[in-house]
Amino acid sequence: MRILGLDGVTFWYPATANPALENVSLDVGPGEIVALVGRGGAGASTLLLIAAGLAPRVTGGRLAGSVSRGARAGIVLPTPWTQVSGMAFTVWDEVAFGAANLGWPGHEITRHVDRALERLEIAPLASRDPATLSGGELQRVIIAGILAMDPDLVVLDEPTAELDHEGTRAVWRLVRSLAAEGKAVLLATSDVDALPDIADRIAWLEQGSVRALGEPSLLAGDAMCEAGLGTTVAGLWRAAGLGAPYPLTVVDAVQRWR
Amino acid sequence: MSALHPFSLLAIAAALPAFAWILPAPAGGLATALIAMGLTLTPGARSGSTSAGLTPRWRPGLVTFRTALVIAAPFWLFLRLLHDVPTTVAMGLRITTMVASCVWLVAVLSPDRLVEAMVARGWSLAVAYLFAATLSAVPVLKARARRIVEAQRCRGLSPRGSVANRLRALRALALPLVLSALHEVDERTLALETRGLGMGVRRTPLAAPLDRTAERVARWTLLLLCLAALIRRLA
Repeated sequence: MRILGLDGVTFWYPATANPALENVSLDVGPGEIVALVGRGGAGASTLLLIAAGLAPRVTGGRLAGSVSRGARAGIVLPTPWTQVSGMAFTVWDEVAFGAANLGWPGHEITRHVDRALERLEIAPLASRDPATLSGGELQRVIIAGILAMDPDLVVLDEPTAELDHEGTRAVWRLVRSLAAEGKAVLLATSDVDALPDIADRIAWLEQGSVRALGEPSLLAGDAMCEAGLGTTVAGLWRAAGLGAPYPLTVVDAVQRWR
Repeated sequence: MSALHPFSLLAIAAALPAFAWILPAPAGGLATALIAMGLTLTPGARSGSTSAGLTPRWRPGLVTFRTALVIAAPFWLFLRLLHDVPTTVAMGLRITTMVASCVWLVAVLSPDRLVEAMVARGWSLAVAYLFAATLSAVPVLKARARRIVEAQRCRGLSPRGSVANRLRALRALALPLVLSALHEVDERTLALETRGLGMGVRRTPLAAPLDRTAERVARWTLLLLCLAALIRRLA
């Protein structure tokens, strides 16, 4: 069973000759976390927009191949200030914006919104004006707004870009707990050091194609380290001239060292 | 004023310009312009507002009043260049009424309350959002312009001083303002779409504004008065 399936997907943005994605195939199952890793312009954000059902429906462009999505998807984009509804004067209303648009009864909206606020640890901000929040707080509000809609597929594009260390850790904990509830998570992040503890699978994107797909140990592979996409520990190990296979995490390195 | 139902605020803002054009000039225009300019003084401060030298409660009203004056003034100038004094006064008062009504409406009408009111009345969310987004565009652009000006001040470009300086600063403001607004449209569209704006499902009103019987009666009365004035003028 899969929640998202991409089979041989190629995608062109409007008025462009070269595809942003080329022949990409990827499945995400319930309870699974798949992380997209790649350099800027590799196509990760485009893939996420397709997964969320926004490309080509909203962005325009042309898609070849097939996309199957068995459930509702919600996407969090990297810049929080462009994602506020502009229709809410409190954080609570902002989080409830999407849930209200689903036409749910009021008590269902309240339940989901309160839970999302608790999960993102922003319940104390509920009565604040979103315009007065910091970037990190606003990013958590946006994530809460998506979770309040109870999507089965959660799509996250650089979800920790605006967050401090504590906020980042809270989001990664949340991602794991979402997967534990059976939700599928597809994310793109440059925080590769967090991925060994979070992701079930890694997809390495290069120039719009999947160059490698596999377990997080890929991040300690020679090819990814050479491309500058391996974990910091693996990169240091390699730079020090120590032999492969490189350790993935600090814990691995300590064990190897002993 | 902002506690009134959004439809009542819209009705007042629409009725004043209608009366200004229907009633005989210059008395009709003068009366509506005075009422509209008076209304611009009514917006109260939101909680948390502060200002130096003025009580927070008055300042938003004064800002709205000044904004209406600044927008209306050039119209008077151009009218005077093109027309004689009586025509200038007649047209100027009508235009001032229109400007002041719009500025007042933007200041007192919360976009979220308008959306809630329209959705509660059965309008589609997309249409309601279009109305509300138009209203909220002004404060959003003002806030962004302020950020751009502050950023450019840090780089040594001052918006004060000679006319040449101000023109240079205006040019440096206009381009990033327009480009950033256009860029933001794409991302906001994606964000709103993923939050169910285009789903076609009827939105659940979170806090539909109270529509009192007295306000409904007042709105219908305004409409009937407009029609009566129009019929009398045409007869």
